[in-house]
Amino acid sequence: MAAPSSAERKACWSARDRLWKCLDDNNDQASSCQDVQREFEASCPAQWVKYFTKRRDYLKYKEKMQTEGFSPADGPQQPS
Amino acid sequence: ILKKLEYKTCFHGGRLLRCVLMTPGTQQSFPSSVMQKMHLSSEPLTRGRLHTVKRMSGLCGSLWHGRHHQLPLVTLRSFLSQGPNPSTAAARVKLRTRLLVTLLFGGGLVGTWWYVYMEKQYKLQRQRVEQLKKVALGQGNFSLVDHRGQRRTKADFLGSWVLLYFGFTHCPDICPDELDKMSAVVAALDKEPSLPPVQPIFITVDPERDDVAALAKYVKDFHPRLIGLTGTAEEVKHAGRDYRVYASPGPKDDDGDYIVDHTILIYLITPDGLFLDYYNRMKNAEQITESIKNHMNVHVKL
Repeated sequence: MAAPSSAERKACWSARDRLWKCLDDNNDQASSCQDVQREFEASCPAQWVKYFTKRRDYLKYKEKMQTEGFSPADGPQQPS
Repeated sequence: ILKKLEYKTCFHGGRLLRCVLMTPGTQQSFPSSVMQKMHLSSEPLTRGRLHTVKRMSGLCGSLWHGRHHQLPLVTLRSFLSQGPNPSTAAARVKLRTRLLVTLLFGGGLVGTWWYVYMEKQYKLQRQRVEQLKKVALGQGNFSLVDHRGQRRTKADFLGSWVLLYFGFTHCPDICPDELDKMSAVVAALDKEPSLPPVQPIFITVDPERDDVAALAKYVKDFHPRLIGLTGTAEEVKHAGRDYRVYASPGPKDDDGDYIVDHTILIYLITPDGLFLDYYNRMKNAEQITESIKNHMNVHVKL
């Protein structure tokens, strides 16, 4: 399977951007963005779909950490 | 009789003038001994001096007790006895001189600070170069095939500066981004006629899929001088090891697709073939261009 060309890459990226914008607008409800999702999956290789989905999860998580903060987990319990 | 004299030091126009603060309760005029303590440095007793005194008093005025403000001025004037007020022309000349002196002094300060700052930057850069030399990456000699099918070894690139990036053609977004950035840096450096041309190189970490044809297709999207290098798995691994590049192919998909996890760094290599610096995702094209320019200048000096 040949690697995507420059044009194909750009098509994939813009489909991804549209999907992410849709999700942002709809508060991450995937159900509202089904057609954009389908478009995205059609424009990009399967591996890239997985990669970008994980990337979005990571970015959301990072944003949450930066805005809401986090409580550090308890360390290993000392043997009593 | 003055019970207590407090001296307040004022700066004015870079020259030290001393203000005299008087404690409340003083009614009398200055005795001559007090006036002797009134230092006006290196200025001849001219009309302008009175003006200086007036201005200086004005500066310290906020600290003076209100009703005593006029007292020393009146007594000073009577003591110095210069007659009528100094002409405004003379006063303006004096003002201009003072301004000039202030500016020169300030300029001197800024100049000194700037010089010290540049020295420090130069020293920091030298330290970093020393540290990187100790790490001594890229010592080995790789032998790979370029995207036109020609065999290339590390020796072929000696004599020119090299920007090296490890990646793979199936890379979703990072490799194209970094290669775009690298192309922008090379283009910016090309614009400087005094600097030697930089050779951008792309080495694949995915030799299984990235053969000569795949590389040829890939590199044409970036800077025209970009050379893509590939080879057998062993050759590529050898080159990666020289630069301590981490590369790990991920799990394969249904259609055999996979993503290779790898170090995302752009390496700068000197004409002697030695690794000099690296740039990660956080550095943008301008910062990298600046850094390379600095390295080139320092290198020439050495």
